[in-house]
Amino acid sequence: MAQLPKEPTHLIEPKPLNEAQNATHPVSSGFMAQLVALVRRELKALWCDPWQLALISYIPLLGILCLWWLFSAGLPRQLPVAIVDQDHSQLSRMLTRQLKANPVTDPQSFTDLSSGITAMQQAQVYAVVVFPYDMKKDLLTGHTPTIDVRYNSQFLLVGKLLSSQIQLSLGDGLLQVAGLKQLMTGTPKSQVAVNLSPVKSQTTALFNRNNNYIGFLVPPVLVALWQLLSMLVIANSLNRELHLNAAQSESGVSNRLTEHFWPKVLAKILLFTPILMLQGGFILTWLYQYLALPLAGSLALLLFAQLIMLLAVWSLVLLVFVLMRDSARVISFCTALFAPAFAFMGITFPTHEMPQLAQWWRLVMPSSHYIESHVSVVSYGAAWPTVAQQLSSYWGFICLFPVIYVLANKLLPMTANASSGATVNTEAPLPAKGQ
Amino acid sequence: MNLWQLVLTELKAIVSDKAITVTLFGGVLFYSVLYPLPYLHQVPTEQQLIVVDLDHSSLSRQLIRHADASAKIQVIGQVGSITEAKRFIETGKAHGLLVIPEGFRRDLLLGKGVTLSYGGDASYFLIYSAVAEGLVSAGMDAGKQIQWIGMLAQGKNPKEAEQNLNSLHLNSVPAFNPSLGYTPYVVPGLFLLILHQTLLIGTGILGAGQWRHQGYWQQVSPLQLVCGRILAFMLIYTLFTSFYVGYCYHWYNVSIQASFGLVALWLLPFLLATAAAGVAMSTLFTRRDLPTQVLLLISMPILFVSGFVWPIALIPDPLVLGSQMIPAVPAIMGMLELNQMGASWASVLPKWLQLWGLFAVFFGLALLGIHRRARAWV
Repeated sequence: MAQLPKEPTHLIEPKPLNEAQNATHPVSSGFMAQLVALVRRELKALWCDPWQLALISYIPLLGILCLWWLFSAGLPRQLPVAIVDQDHSQLSRMLTRQLKANPVTDPQSFTDLSSGITAMQQAQVYAVVVFPYDMKKDLLTGHTPTIDVRYNSQFLLVGKLLSSQIQLSLGDGLLQVAGLKQLMTGTPKSQVAVNLSPVKSQTTALFNRNNNYIGFLVPPVLVALWQLLSMLVIANSLNRELHLNAAQSESGVSNRLTEHFWPKVLAKILLFTPILMLQGGFILTWLYQYLALPLAGSLALLLFAQLIMLLAVWSLVLLVFVLMRDSARVISFCTALFAPAFAFMGITFPTHEMPQLAQWWRLVMPSSHYIESHVSVVSYGAAWPTVAQQLSSYWGFICLFPVIYVLANKLLPMTANASSGATVNTEAPLPAKGQ
Repeated sequence: MNLWQLVLTELKAIVSDKAITVTLFGGVLFYSVLYPLPYLHQVPTEQQLIVVDLDHSSLSRQLIRHADASAKIQVIGQVGSITEAKRFIETGKAHGLLVIPEGFRRDLLLGKGVTLSYGGDASYFLIYSAVAEGLVSAGMDAGKQIQWIGMLAQGKNPKEAEQNLNSLHLNSVPAFNPSLGYTPYVVPGLFLLILHQTLLIGTGILGAGQWRHQGYWQQVSPLQLVCGRILAFMLIYTLFTSFYVGYCYHWYNVSIQASFGLVALWLLPFLLATAAAGVAMSTLFTRRDLPTQVLLLISMPILFVSGFVWPIALIPDPLVLGSQMIPAVPAIMGMLELNQMGASWASVLPKWLQLWGLFAVFFGLALLGIHRRARAWV
């Protein structure tokens, strides 16, 4: 075991490259041969496990495309809004047309309020607008009629959007009415517009200019999915080592857990890094090349950030594996850890508004480190220096390496000795034929 | 073995299985704290705003003060140019910018229109909408004040001027989730999904671990086994559901509109259908670590297809139709309608019947699956 990397930090840079440079060394060429054998062993294991194969082939493809399809509408349009017109005047019809002209709202007429309310409670419409009885008359006679708008804020996203869009549409319609009034009192036409709204406002969405939900929500969702996939792939691969018959050997490599443990881990990383990077690359290509979402920075930077995130995910899984050393528990624990990652990314709900505890927990998730680089590259067009600075937030994961190494040396022999007594584990990795 | 003995045996098998207890008891408790954790502050307030004041007049300063007074905005400073402001946004120090054009006050007093520019970082929608709302209301207020002063100058009486400005009152109020808070929005749907997923995982692991070994499951008929298993999980999940829907909803300020009886009546077929689906699904697995993985991967799609994050009207029809087979999808929507939006029982009845239908289908599939597994042993 003399040729083993002293610290798992070496796992970041593929050892063989460094070793290949001084290939004159007999030990290192032996190491290379061993590594090749180990990678071949991993490939064979991968080939024999339909679930692992699924995890790296059609499941990501299906997942990515389905999630994109779900949000493929991109911009919320034609959201049904109930109009209860009790006034039946030219004014109320004009305001309804105003709502119809807005691409977000799709007004639907209801004859009475109660049916409008029922429709809203059943989520058939997302807002109710009530034009009161005698609205026009009150307006002309100098009373102040009230138009009631109720929007469904249980669906927060839709509710907020509708609230602002309905106000915008109605406000604009009412301005026209007020303009008529001014003309009547003899104000010159050129002055009317200024009188009505002396301060105009121009609201610009920076970076995601048309408020596209695909650009906003789909990247973090897919990154969360990708993180789950990479976690499962490596966890399954590590778990496999627990179930092998220690007495036998495979491709000339002993199956005993503690034997060549680090080269085995290195072989797994060497095999799965390119595969998972391919998936990550597919996500980026799909979003920023095929769908052509705006991308201010370079894809290469994003890929690099993905690579670092992947290594961080794997160090976490390795830590959990070394601590638990039981396949079902490793999976359960990793699931518990990684499942809520999306909520902690800080895209839907801003990071700086989270409680302190959530901000700490957030740092445990590699995806939340990555997403910051993602946003700054995609939106702000950040370059190497900025990304490098952001990547330094991973320092905590580097501290994990010595911990994992020490724990592995202490804990793994215990499991290996325990399982060598019992030949077949109760949770034996029966070939997954039933699936 | 009669049914009650079987239920007891099932309960023992569940509790003595570490992986299941960790997922069920640990998962349900852990997630009840962890998932809503980022959202505890509910509403984004005091978003950092950077101001580019090119006017430097009394009015522009007043406008800045008004913007700062808005609960949604905190003015962190002024810079000389838009490019400088952009750098603040890119480094994350600010999330929005306000540009007051040169000659702002002068033009207004001369009776010319001016345009204020607002910008918000739309990479984060919640921040963007908070900044935009805050600035629009501050800008509108400034505009109204100018108009009012102008009208007074023209010799109108203040009351008439006020009436002219607000000739029609727009009363826009959120219904159902009056505080626009984030936990009342996320928690009701998400917690039902957590119950759904953990229940499926629990039944899945239990089944997957048994089919390849001899045990009590072969000594009873498939019908008895399915009934016993569903009953055992129902007992546990009545407890969990009471904790989630009873205590956690209250704790996370979720608005509650339906009566206890109606909620219970609603959740009954949901839990039954989910448990039956779990037993049916478990017959497909023989590896104990697989159910967790499969369900983990599909939980995010279920969450998004259930229709409270992204409106159902915008989800492609095939996805909506396909998702109707998942008990959580009608259950979440129906629960929101019934309990959060105060719909009547009659209006959620179709979804309730759909859940019973799902229960029947999955019950049949579970019977079939177990029958197959049992026959494989003979």
